[in-house]
Amino acid sequence: MIFGKYINRFYLKYAVLILCGLAALVAVDYAQTLIPEMYRMVIDGVDKGVVAVDGGYADFDMQFVWARICVPMFFIIIFIIVGRFVWRICLFGSGIRVERDLRKKMFAHCEELSAEFYSREKIGNLMSLFTNDLETVQDCFGNGIMMTFDAAFLGGLALYKMFRMDWLMTLLSLIPMALMVAMSLILGKYMTLKWRTRQQAFSDLSDFAQESFSGIAVIKAFVKEFKELLAFRWLNKKNENANVAYTRISTILNVLVTLFVESVICIVLGYGSYLVYKGIFTGGQLMEFIGYFNAIIWPVTAITELIEMHSRGKASLNRVSDLLETKRDVTDSPEAVSIDHVDGTIEFRNVTFRYPNVDYDSLHDVSFLINAGEKVGIIGKTGSGKTTLADLILRCYNVADGTVFVDGRDVNTVTVKSLRDFCAYVPQDNFLFSDTIRNNIAFAVDDASDEEVKVAAILSDIDENISRFGDGYNTFMGERGVTVSGGQKQRISIARALMTNASILILDDSVSAVDTDTEKNILNNLRKARYGKTTIYIAHRISTVRDLDKIILLDNGEVVDIGDHAQLMERCPMYRNMVALQELEEEDA
Amino acid sequence: MRDYLPLLIVGAIIGVFSAVLILVYALIKDKKESMGFERNMKDGELIKRLLHYAKPYWFNFVIVGLVMLLSVSYNILSPILISGIERIFENENGFVYNDVLWRVILYACILIGSLIGTYVQAIVLQKTGQKIISQLREDAFTHIESLSHAQLAHMPVGKLVTRVTNDTNAISMMFTGMLANLFKNIFVIIGVLIAMLFINYMLTLMVLCFVPFIVLFTVIFRKFSRRAYRQVKNGTTDINTYLAEHLSGMKIIQIFNREKRKMQEFDAKNQKLYRAQRGQIFVFGIFRPAVYMLYISSVLCLFFLGAKGALSGKEILGQVVDGATIVAFYMFVSRFFNPIQNLAEQFHRLQSAFASAEKIFTILDIRPSVVDEQDAIEVENIRGEIEFKNVWFAYNEGEWVLKGVSFHVNANDTVAFVGATGSGKTTILSLLCRNYDIQKGEILLDGINIRHIKISSLRRHFGQMLQDVFLFAGTVRSNIVLRDEYSDDEVMQACRYVNADKFIDRLPDGLGEEVRERGNNFSAGQRQLLSFARTIIHRPEVMILDEATANIDTETELLIQDSLGKMMNIGTMLIVAHRLSTIQHADNIIVISDGMIVEQGNHHELLQQRGRYYELYMLQFNKEQIKKNIKATQ
Repeated sequence: MIFGKYINRFYLKYAVLILCGLAALVAVDYAQTLIPEMYRMVIDGVDKGVVAVDGGYADFDMQFVWARICVPMFFIIIFIIVGRFVWRICLFGSGIRVERDLRKKMFAHCEELSAEFYSREKIGNLMSLFTNDLETVQDCFGNGIMMTFDAAFLGGLALYKMFRMDWLMTLLSLIPMALMVAMSLILGKYMTLKWRTRQQAFSDLSDFAQESFSGIAVIKAFVKEFKELLAFRWLNKKNENANVAYTRISTILNVLVTLFVESVICIVLGYGSYLVYKGIFTGGQLMEFIGYFNAIIWPVTAITELIEMHSRGKASLNRVSDLLETKRDVTDSPEAVSIDHVDGTIEFRNVTFRYPNVDYDSLHDVSFLINAGEKVGIIGKTGSGKTTLADLILRCYNVADGTVFVDGRDVNTVTVKSLRDFCAYVPQDNFLFSDTIRNNIAFAVDDASDEEVKVAAILSDIDENISRFGDGYNTFMGERGVTVSGGQKQRISIARALMTNASILILDDSVSAVDTDTEKNILNNLRKARYGKTTIYIAHRISTVRDLDKIILLDNGEVVDIGDHAQLMERCPMYRNMVALQELEEEDA
Repeated sequence: MRDYLPLLIVGAIIGVFSAVLILVYALIKDKKESMGFERNMKDGELIKRLLHYAKPYWFNFVIVGLVMLLSVSYNILSPILISGIERIFENENGFVYNDVLWRVILYACILIGSLIGTYVQAIVLQKTGQKIISQLREDAFTHIESLSHAQLAHMPVGKLVTRVTNDTNAISMMFTGMLANLFKNIFVIIGVLIAMLFINYMLTLMVLCFVPFIVLFTVIFRKFSRRAYRQVKNGTTDINTYLAEHLSGMKIIQIFNREKRKMQEFDAKNQKLYRAQRGQIFVFGIFRPAVYMLYISSVLCLFFLGAKGALSGKEILGQVVDGATIVAFYMFVSRFFNPIQNLAEQFHRLQSAFASAEKIFTILDIRPSVVDEQDAIEVENIRGEIEFKNVWFAYNEGEWVLKGVSFHVNANDTVAFVGATGSGKTTILSLLCRNYDIQKGEILLDGINIRHIKISSLRRHFGQMLQDVFLFAGTVRSNIVLRDEYSDDEVMQACRYVNADKFIDRLPDGLGEEVRERGNNFSAGQRQLLSFARTIIHRPEVMILDEATANIDTETELLIQDSLGKMMNIGTMLIVAHRLSTIQHADNIIVISDGMIVEQGNHHELLQQRGRYYELYMLQFNKEQIKKNIKATQ
């Protein structure tokens, strides 16, 4: 069982379910501990013909067998079966409900975290929160409640009955059990260690194979197959040893647990026989006692398991809590208003910006004005701050008050969501979802018609390619579907952005992977489709920005010059230099 | 009849329960292909091949079998001993305590003996199993490495990795756990059965009545649990795929304001998984109590029949029932039921191990398509003269990529291949190193057909620099030396030669700087320079370069061009060129179009021919500059 800020509420939320389950659990435990008594009655009855029952003695005949053994046992059987079913459904059921609720909450929280968070966290780590950690928490909740209470009730009940039969023998049998718990805890730690070594060895092996097979072309080229095999063999050997070491310790633990448990049987048999010898016990009673002892074996072993489960659960819950407590980074200020119209004027006033956890400014004192409806190119070398501009306009990061303006309003006075409603973006990495092409294009619009989707595809010059795929617009993309080339991705991603017909469109290096003719086509189409709406082209190719209204040349996070192609050619040496260099570097078409 | 009412009731309950289960089983059809275990290889063949790996260790298995008998004996002897003690108690004239005591001591001895047996068995099995698996794993690894480029191109790396890791692990579990359990369970069942028959065959027959039901329940349960498990697994995979993708694309979701919609999608998947998990809990919730019901019913029958037998003249079918009999059977019943249930479940797991085995053997059965000829020779020193004689090549049958290509490269010359994407330039280079075998024609190195040269020997003379430079996770140093022994001086010397020293010197750890997965912490240009250094240090006679098309910053570009110039002097060099500066320095330029050579000659000759090369060149330079260049050449 675990408790914590984000889990306590579930005990309350699912209280009815949990209580039902616990009631069934207690009932089952009670019924189970009745059976050794019947066992005793049968043995004693068969041996002696009389049975001690309810403080007196009764004759052992078929009447007795029917009334005192068969009938109660029928009820016990039915009771146990129904009870076990009920607690499984209730307690394990509450566990998976908690898992479901938490997962939903985590995803909702993830949706609110900003780009800064995602640039810092690895997706793999986040995923393990959603899979391993959540599973552990679930296990601790459902299984944890069950084990805690089952161990307590069953163990307590059986122990109580044992004590009533003979306290000394009970104490004697508890000594090895206590030793066993202590030993399990110590060896358990050691075993965890070995288990980690083993997992590490396996994952090393796995990583090695992954690397080796990925780079097989290099290995073949340099004829390193044999050397690779030697390295692999070494890791394989390590993996082998780690496995044996782990098996050794876990077998020892197993063997010792059995030894301690069974040694109790020896003690009970030895001392109990003495009691029978003295006439204090009957043979049946001794067997009854062993029956109770068998019932406490599992609760005792559960103690170590519970301790271990708790520490695992706690660690997982902490990680989950850390995620849920990660502060949202880009938030609306209290006085932010929702806007229902954007013309598309964008102004930067002396913007200096530094990404979190970085020790240099990505933008330094950047000022410019983009009028509504203008087509603007932003050009500069890798790392000059082009994408940062887009990030700031789209409010992926926070900006200082009084620096970035849209339609003359400080963006910090506008709600993030309402601003984004009027923006569209074609990202540099052209992220697309593994879904149909149609759904990817219609991503941003709720009920897009097929015609609208087609129009967007035609504008971004991808319609023809799509119709050549087997299922046309319903072709699945990604791992389970077709692989599309970088250029096709870019064009689908442009179509997606065009669907919203937003007042501001930002294309981040979006035609870099298409050939010159297609580029020309798309740029022409865009010019028509985006007439009168602000469109920003971030590019490294001069050909993309040459014919635009305005070009902003960035270098090292600073604005070098702003003007159209002719102006820049005339007055800006750096721009001229770029043009010349690019013509030199153009690849063969 | 009234006398046997309890038995009849138990029989009726179990009967009705089984009938319902069978009915449900028959009604719910399972899709055949979703069982996940369809295989092409027969069980027998798989076992034979697996046994082949186990064969060298037959002695270990014999030991394990013998030791196992020891640990099994405890399961059979302990109830007999305890019931023996009970029998002593029954003596109406009292008993000697020592009689009991030596039995207890014997009990303890058997216990210790069996535990030692358990330990020895586990360790020997684990060691043996691991050895077998290591061998299988190495075989798989070596085999995968020997497959040709064409074959590997069709196999996702992830799958190959699974073959040498998880699949082999599944088989190792079969050797270390499953097989041992299988035999142990069989031993226990037989032993317990014999012991029970000796004690009282009437009661044994009663116990045997329950066996078909255990098997039936387990088999039915297996179907439903597998189904439930699959649903949970699918649900989990679904949600994980969704998560991985949407967490990576969160920026897009946010920018387009799609959070609500995505939340709905996610919730639908979340609910689906929850329902699948609920189904799984339900299946287990029915099955576990049902098996318990069988067990406890048999105990009830034991109590009833035992009591009845004892009361009605203490003799049924000529056998006496007493307290000791009941004690022995009470213990034997659970020792009998567990292994049967285990066995029924074991079958399923064995199937999944077989499925893994088949996957591995399928890989091992793939014949490498590019192999040494029988009388292939080693070549020691080569000059680096290369000739293509009417070479025809197709990746896929019928789709010729090269159509009768012939050319000759003198030793120490530099040749550039130029042409449009898909014209076959890169193919020429990879044929030279026998990444693929050609269909027609001959490729000669120093006048020897490369097919007659051992592949390893051939490739050792080539330095291949591929377009996408692959860097291994490790260090800068390890990526240059590639598991060979070179001193830091030698490495740095190579780096200096190719101008890689400048950026390496700037790295905080220099040569020891960490290279992350696929070298993603290095720029395209830096990766290119590292691949040059890697090639140079291995001292090849012939260098092959597929120039990167990626954007490389101007500064690095200059360094690359400079080091290329130096490398051209080392030996023969073949370049798929993208940059004009590279081409201009070549001794010979071969222009390829649609798998055929259209023209060749040096830069000036080709420009004067005003052919295809001239056109390509025109495309890249504006007219001003070309005019300037042409003037300079005249």
